[in-house]
Amino acid sequence: MAIFCWRRWKELNEMVIRRLEGNAIEFCAIEPIEINLLRQVPTVCESGENPRSEGRLFSKPADASEAQFLNDWEEYVRPELRHLFLSARNTVSEDLKTLSTGPGKLGHFVVPHAHRDAWLNVLNQARLILATKYNFTDRELSMHEQPRWFSRRDMVLQQINFYAEIQERIIDIVENE
Amino acid sequence: MVETAVETEVETSIALPWNVVVHDDPVNLMSYVTMVFQRVFGYSKEKAQHHMLEVHYKGRSVVWTGARERAEFYVQQLHGHLLLATLERAE
Repeated sequence: MAIFCWRRWKELNEMVIRRLEGNAIEFCAIEPIEINLLRQVPTVCESGENPRSEGRLFSKPADASEAQFLNDWEEYVRPELRHLFLSARNTVSEDLKTLSTGPGKLGHFVVPHAHRDAWLNVLNQARLILATKYNFTDRELSMHEQPRWFSRRDMVLQQINFYAEIQERIIDIVENE
Repeated sequence: MVETAVETEVETSIALPWNVVVHDDPVNLMSYVTMVFQRVFGYSKEKAQHHMLEVHYKGRSVVWTGARERAEFYVQQLHGHLLLATLERAE
């Protein structure tokens, strides 16, 4: 499992994620690079429609000795899971359409209370897909080094950490209601 | 006679306790896994954290044991949260 280092990203950014009345979640003071990363979330998820990513998103629920269970799972459960994941992606895409920004302005949008689980799910999808694509290890995902921004791999790792930061903030808000 | 024997074997197999096992992966956050255990099983934060740490340090944790149908339901729920979960016959 990944141990996310909140301070690592926090020191570099001032984006604010906070709970509003009614338990909606407000994202504000979003820098252009963060807006770009946020808008990439649905695209990253769509890029997961390949055998490797699918193998992680739809992992086997039992070993081969449970042949009937595995067959039933493929026929009935997997389509339900696919629907769940797609539905969450659509919810996040719609929320991102409300992200207001402009030249010289920081971004702002609100995630309604009912959409919080969709955000947690989709951020996880995006992180899993990126980590699978680039074969990141447990150590890399938990390392406490400053970002170097030397390679595409380093940049993707920062993207994964950025999404992890948002997940952590949403979980923190949910737990402290 | 043969059909009865097969049916009995299947019934016995289903009646046995089944484990819901969660496996470690490098991506899911510890806080996220803890939250999912609380939501899916209704565990206290302490119990959820105990299982989360077992997954993290031992690579897997038996998070629930019981009837087959319920175990299948829990595995599906955990997959819906993108955790690596499997169903296993309890020893």
